[in-house]
Amino acid sequence: MDASVTGNAYDLDETFHDEMYGADGAPREQCRLLDDALQALPGSELALIQDRVRRSFAEEGISFTVYGDEEAQERIIPVDCIPRILTAEEWQQIETGLTQRIDALNRFIGDVYGEARIVADGVIPADLVRGCPQYRIEMRGMRVPHDTWVAVCGTDIVRTSDGFMVLEDNLRVPSGVSYMLANRAAVKSNLRRLYRSYHVRDIGHYGEVLRDTLASLAPEQSDDPCIVLLTPGVFNSAFYEHMFLAQEIGASLVEGRDLVFDNGYVFMRTTRGLRKVDVIYRRIDDDFIDPLVFRPDSLLGVPGLMNACKRGNVTLANAPGTGVADDKSVYAFVPDMIRYYLGEEPVLSNVQTFLCRRPEDLEYTLDNLENLVVKRVGESGGYGMLVGPHATPEEREAYARGIRDDPADFISQPVLPLSRAPCLIGEHLEPRHVDLRPFVLRGRNTRIVPGAFCRVALVKGSLVVNSSQGGGGKDLWVLGS
Amino acid sequence: MLARSAQGLYWMSRYLERSEFIARLLELQTRALVDRPLSEIHFGWRRIYGSLGTSPPAGDLEADHSDDYALADSFTLAGDLTFEASNPSSMRSCFAAGRENARQMRHCISSGMWTNLNLAWLDIKDLDIQDIWAREPEAFYAGMARTIKTFDGFAAATMYRDEGYQFLRLGTFIERIQLTTALVTTHCRVPEGAGDHEWTSLLRACQALDAFERVHGVERKPERILALVITDPLLQGSLLGSLTSTASCLDALGTEAGSPETAAAARRLAGRMTARVVYDWPDSSDRLSLLDEITREARDLHGLVTGAWFEYAIGEEEA
Repeated sequence: MDASVTGNAYDLDETFHDEMYGADGAPREQCRLLDDALQALPGSELALIQDRVRRSFAEEGISFTVYGDEEAQERIIPVDCIPRILTAEEWQQIETGLTQRIDALNRFIGDVYGEARIVADGVIPADLVRGCPQYRIEMRGMRVPHDTWVAVCGTDIVRTSDGFMVLEDNLRVPSGVSYMLANRAAVKSNLRRLYRSYHVRDIGHYGEVLRDTLASLAPEQSDDPCIVLLTPGVFNSAFYEHMFLAQEIGASLVEGRDLVFDNGYVFMRTTRGLRKVDVIYRRIDDDFIDPLVFRPDSLLGVPGLMNACKRGNVTLANAPGTGVADDKSVYAFVPDMIRYYLGEEPVLSNVQTFLCRRPEDLEYTLDNLENLVVKRVGESGGYGMLVGPHATPEEREAYARGIRDDPADFISQPVLPLSRAPCLIGEHLEPRHVDLRPFVLRGRNTRIVPGAFCRVALVKGSLVVNSSQGGGGKDLWVLGS
Repeated sequence: MLARSAQGLYWMSRYLERSEFIARLLELQTRALVDRPLSEIHFGWRRIYGSLGTSPPAGDLEADHSDDYALADSFTLAGDLTFEASNPSSMRSCFAAGRENARQMRHCISSGMWTNLNLAWLDIKDLDIQDIWAREPEAFYAGMARTIKTFDGFAAATMYRDEGYQFLRLGTFIERIQLTTALVTTHCRVPEGAGDHEWTSLLRACQALDAFERVHGVERKPERILALVITDPLLQGSLLGSLTSTASCLDALGTEAGSPETAAAARRLAGRMTARVVYDWPDSSDRLSLLDEITREARDLHGLVTGAWFEYAIGEEEA
């Protein structure tokens, strides 16, 4: 434990579960080979590997776009070369839990746009559902193939000493899967022997599974449905991923201006005239899909798209209106949904959540601001959030006024002691906080490729893993049984 | 394929062809700087700017237009033509535009093509003329030309032969027709006339010197040089070679297009242009006018390709 790369710098803190080392400082069973390999390499050698891994991202042009003062820039996402390892049992729990969860969530969405039994039975308050900004009244009464509203879901999972918990269900246009695949490709080829000796489960077939999933959602079953990926365009921060996935699934990468609505159907402009489109894997938000139905100023969408969708002539994946189920207040009810629709206990637990719309939760939140994370219900990506312990008394007071003005717009959660994993900083290993985002695909049935985009807060002590806020990535190895 | 993707491939190869052309001429020009007389260097700069249809940067030049080239030092002109971001005709601007199209159409090209371009881009994106001027600038330009040729090689070897490939080639050849025509026109129009060295460098600029020596030996008569670079069907980069290749791309694409009539018109025009070079050029008494005509037709051809496959009208738009 105090050999070259780890040295004394690796500080184990009992507050945080360490993904690699036990409390006694010895590597966990599944991490022993990795630890041996790391101890055998001088720090300078590891730094070279790190450099090669990062350079391969630049050379491949694996980038996301950020907006600076002058122009959009291609930024390379920082990747850490030390893999994070999950055992077969750990993965099994995640897989079962996610399958159960996406099943319940799909039923919930179908229900709230249909009979709304769950509301009638008093499991979830009506105003919470209907008042949710992501509730799309236009979707009422709509049917979707295989009752699949959410075809692609990227769930954020964290680990504390209490085990795995779901932090957020991303049910609209989750991104990051290209980094999962890119991290694997880069790390695998730079830690070849180690990778081989570990029997890591493969994730390379993600594109194939995604294609199957989308094809199974086509309005009419055919061997070769026309699938397109709808992107907002090259200025979107996830454009690389859109391009990458289009290639993986053999779909055309279209923008709104490439699609035409005519006589109830959607067509794309090809070199040989118009071609009917069956499935649209859309990577633009609900608001922008169709200016006739949602935001009239949208130039990204296709006028008439919703019409074709409602007639069942084209499938949108994910369906519009799925955001009603990943709203931060509705999130608190997911365990109840699982019990209500499936009659099962949740396999993965939720993070304890206080809904400020309830007087007792509001009081608790206001009394304990310095220990809580408070989030606005409608926001995502770390915006509009208060991290109590890191805020000044003035900031907390100002934020509290906002909460009192509109309690229903806020929820709070305890500050989570996210687990940490060793990362190569310079030539030494240091612990950094991590989470993971596996991708769940649901067409005719549910499939999860055994891997995840493991996000890392590269800044020492930081709990923020978002790529847009200085976070990086790690390869996640799921071991075979 | 998606019309916008096809258009992206077409523009990608047009920009790269142009970038290679500039690299090639600058390689010749920086070589000339070592030992050629000033008049020849002057001629070289005029020919480059003339071929690209632009002018050298003015501003700090105090003399009248005709002296621009003489007064501006070669360092400034090379910088303008190589790295100047505000000059859309600089080698890097064209390369960046080609690479940007490739980035957006990566799913339509092979990974070898992309990696080749992206690595070259990472090498040059932060360079400045100072970085290359002190040590063998001609080697730098030769390297760039080689990178783009390698890209063509990757395309030929690895790209799936669907219509995307035809549009990529079409971009290369239509750009080449325009550049060759402009180069020869400018070459013949420079008032003081071209000497032996200038004619030799025309052969080099057209990548035709080796072929010329094989066919005609060392006696470099202008008439023979022109015949080679304009009408020789065996020279890939001759005007006729580019026209023939264009026609074969158009044949491969056929008339199954967003606008079949426009596609047919494009094929007819390419045929007429080929006929002009084959039948009119040898006996023509006014070749400069003939070149002007071909220049106009090349622009029309671009318009027809765009109208047939990329930006055709649909449904109500037609009415």
